Amino acid sequence: MNKVRIGYSEMTAFIIIMIVMKIFIGYPRIITQQGATAAWLLPLFSGLLAIGLWLLIMRLLERFPGESLTKITELLLGPVLGVAVNIVVVTFFCIKTALLLRVFCEATTLTILTETPLSAIALLYLFGATLTVYHGIEAISRSASIALPYILFSILTVLVVLYPYYDFKKLLPIMGLGGWPLLKNSLVGISSFGEVIALAYLISFLPFDKRKIRKIGVKSISISMFLFTIFIAVYLMVFVYPTSTETFVPIYQLTRSIFLGHYLQRVEAFFITFAAFTAFLRLAMGLFVTLHVLKDTLKLPSYHPLLAVFSLLFFTFAFTPKDMVQSVYVESLLGMNYGWIAFVLPLLLYLIALLRKKGENRVK
Amino acid sequence: MAKGFWQKFREKIFNFEDIQHQERFILTPMTDETGNGKQKENNAQKGKETGEEQGDSTQENSKQENGGQNSGQENGRKENGKDSPEKGKRKIKKPLSLQKAALKEIPDDPEQLRVSADLETNREYINKLYVLPKNKDIIVRDFYIALDPPLKAFMVFIDGLAANEIINNAILKSLMVLIEEETKVDYAHLAEYIKEHLLPGHDVAVLENYRSILDMVNYGNTAIFVEGSDRSLVIETKGWDRRTVSEPETEQVILGPQEAFNETLRSNTGLIRKAIRNEKLITEMVKVGSQTNIDVAIMYLDDIANPKLVEEVKRRVESIKTDYMGAAGVLEQFIEDAPYSLTPQVLTTERPDRTVSFLVEGHVAIIVDGGARALIVPITLFSLLHTPEDYYLRIPYGNFVRILRVVALFITILTPGTYIAIVNFHQEMVPTELLLAIAASHATVPFPTVFELFVMEFSFELIREAGVRVPGVIGNTIGIVGALILGQAAAQAGIISPILIIVVAITGLASFAIPNYSISFALRLMRFIFAIFAAFFGFLGIAGGLLFFLISLVSMKSFGVPFLAPVGPRTRTEPDVVLRGPVWSMEKRVDYLNPLDKKRQPNISRGWIKNSQRRRKK
Repeated sequence: MNKVRIGYSEMTAFIIIMIVMKIFIGYPRIITQQGATAAWLLPLFSGLLAIGLWLLIMRLLERFPGESLTKITELLLGPVLGVAVNIVVVTFFCIKTALLLRVFCEATTLTILTETPLSAIALLYLFGATLTVYHGIEAISRSASIALPYILFSILTVLVVLYPYYDFKKLLPIMGLGGWPLLKNSLVGISSFGEVIALAYLISFLPFDKRKIRKIGVKSISISMFLFTIFIAVYLMVFVYPTSTETFVPIYQLTRSIFLGHYLQRVEAFFITFAAFTAFLRLAMGLFVTLHVLKDTLKLPSYHPLLAVFSLLFFTFAFTPKDMVQSVYVESLLGMNYGWIAFVLPLLLYLIALLRKKGENRVK
Repeated sequence: MAKGFWQKFREKIFNFEDIQHQERFILTPMTDETGNGKQKENNAQKGKETGEEQGDSTQENSKQENGGQNSGQENGRKENGKDSPEKGKRKIKKPLSLQKAALKEIPDDPEQLRVSADLETNREYINKLYVLPKNKDIIVRDFYIALDPPLKAFMVFIDGLAANEIINNAILKSLMVLIEEETKVDYAHLAEYIKEHLLPGHDVAVLENYRSILDMVNYGNTAIFVEGSDRSLVIETKGWDRRTVSEPETEQVILGPQEAFNETLRSNTGLIRKAIRNEKLITEMVKVGSQTNIDVAIMYLDDIANPKLVEEVKRRVESIKTDYMGAAGVLEQFIEDAPYSLTPQVLTTERPDRTVSFLVEGHVAIIVDGGARALIVPITLFSLLHTPEDYYLRIPYGNFVRILRVVALFITILTPGTYIAIVNFHQEMVPTELLLAIAASHATVPFPTVFELFVMEFSFELIREAGVRVPGVIGNTIGIVGALILGQAAAQAGIISPILIIVVAITGLASFAIPNYSISFALRLMRFIFAIFAAFFGFLGIAGGLLFFLISLVSMKSFGVPFLAPVGPRTRTEPDVVLRGPVWSMEKRVDYLNPLDKKRQPNISRGWIKNSQRRRKK
């Protein structure tokens, strides 16, 4: 068992930041492309679905109290297949975080540091993330818990000060592309909340009972769902649908539109600072989860020796896509189109547990 | 021969070894043949203690005695027949007496040395331990206690540390003059008898071990050795020149007490005791410094402070192995969790009222003798940003100054970096008119903004350091000359842009608003780090800097308490973190300290509210 213990609000903030960070990059654009004028309904439907799936996943975790998903995978699939599946999970986390790093770098270059080399920005992001991970999950989760109110406040401020530009007519037709596409995209849209699975891998840090763990997942998804919904709604109300599908960093476009009088008309750089801060934290979280799952898989006593190696690996993976377009494409593919896979693995495991009747004795 | 006879006489006739308390006493003859004549000579020369028959032996005497017959070692040698004039006459070497054998090899470690019943042996010990007669401010004074028959004794004290008046009036006069003739002496418990019947001193200890005796003497007390007693009497005679309690210099308040600690430990502990009139206030003493043997007081409230915390503080302080402990600042570095961190993890204060407020909260105070500061542990970042005045002021005023201070904190660390970020990377953020003004002011400056800023910040630090180091009046002048004239001249010469001078001045001013000296230092250094990050990456660099700052703070602990508690991790707290609530609403003590008594005051602490007319109506 880990000696480190994470509090309820800290872990909730950890998961919320992992999910919500997407708002600072291309997520609103991708959702708008999928849902058209009804895009704001997508996170709502997907979120409710994700909550349902999370409750199912919790049934699996309840069968193996105190065990992380890494361990459960091994218990259910055996030592060979279990380790192999866990390695695949590590690879998934690794590539996804590395691509996020690339997208953050591209977004930063595109918005506030237009002349700074991409690799220099990547190095700063990686340096920050590595240093944060070095201090451990306690430092990450506490930082997340302290920073979350300010991050949420900055997002909500952007949304509120854009009030003069709201045009509710831009949300029409209310069902967008129609009922079926909306439902289909909602199913795929659970990818938006795939990060909640990280909680199942970090369970050994949580010193409380199953009800609270379940609550963390539900609360994280609910808050993120609410934020996504209102953000996309405002995004659609400010920009017309066709325009909203073309902006690379929607939040930057929104902040550029802010006009707070003659002296405060270009405050995007200020808000991007919050976005950058969140990006640092999100990368650190991704790096930590990757290393933690690997540590658990390979039964290592500490992940610290792997830190430098994985930082380098992230840097390499981040620069594998040859240009921005490709990196955005791969990221959206992995993050949005096939991100739902994150829910599939634990559900499959639950099915296996049910069929093989594993873990029942533990519950008893 | 006479000496040998008396030694035998003492050992065989008057040595009551069967006494339960192992208290030996030896009646000493009125006239000690060994060197008494020389003592009298000295008395005549110095003219001290005229009218008294007893010898007055200062360290000058010791010097003479050391070279004379009084020396135990010399005696030893005589007994061995080496330097004695009777050398040729003796044929058979007599075995050494136990006492003389002991004198031959005096251990260097006083810990192993116990007081001897033989006065001369003790004298030799003292000579050896204090390196007499080389050590000039150690005074050894021989005298006779006016009993019947008179008892020979000597006292040891340090000139300059001990109070002469107490020694003369409370010790010498009491033992040499004011004793009634028909006093019945309990020779079996001589030291206790003298302590209880003859010495009027308020604090008298009976000690056997030389280590403890030396520790007491080195701290201004006076030790008395009496012939026949294997215990020493140590009388409290501290009386060195000391600074009186004066006003605080670095933590001034307008409302509230105007007392500050000084360099005397007992005075400082007294100031705290004066405010906490509670028998549960514990003051434990620990000696630190192998050469300096400085007393370190650990103070806490026994019924509030967490015992584990107290144990941890004692463990850390007691474990320190060093030769010198100069002041609280040195001890702080020895006991803090992260010595390389920019932010301090121990609060240093010169105010007794502030120390008291922490003690009643469940913290532990550490006071080093000789340092006019108290160290408070554990602490959080928020307590470093509070001042006692916050509580002395009414709620709106107290909160106003707290908000001001938080703003000052961010101005201190972020203003130079933000200026560089805006000017170099994010010009669009600045309103056009202001941008034009900045551009115009910078047009004549031949240096890049980053260089300009670092030159000015460095100059500001120089002015500050010079202002602190040079004597008072000139220090102020340097501040004015440096800040005003130099700044204006630099701007007029076109070397520095005027807007930058405003940025540097505001940053400097804000740093002065930070109440704690150590954290103010940390923030001053941090602004350079933020400026460097901003110079490379603009606002992204500042975001990175903020993350590093936050991570370093959340991962730090002060004696096991997270440095950002009660915010990170979240713990239950009363309304006193950034803003403060009404004093009557702070009902519980801080949770992160886990105090023994969590309740500070009842839910309704304003008793008069219960009986007020409005309540009755409701």
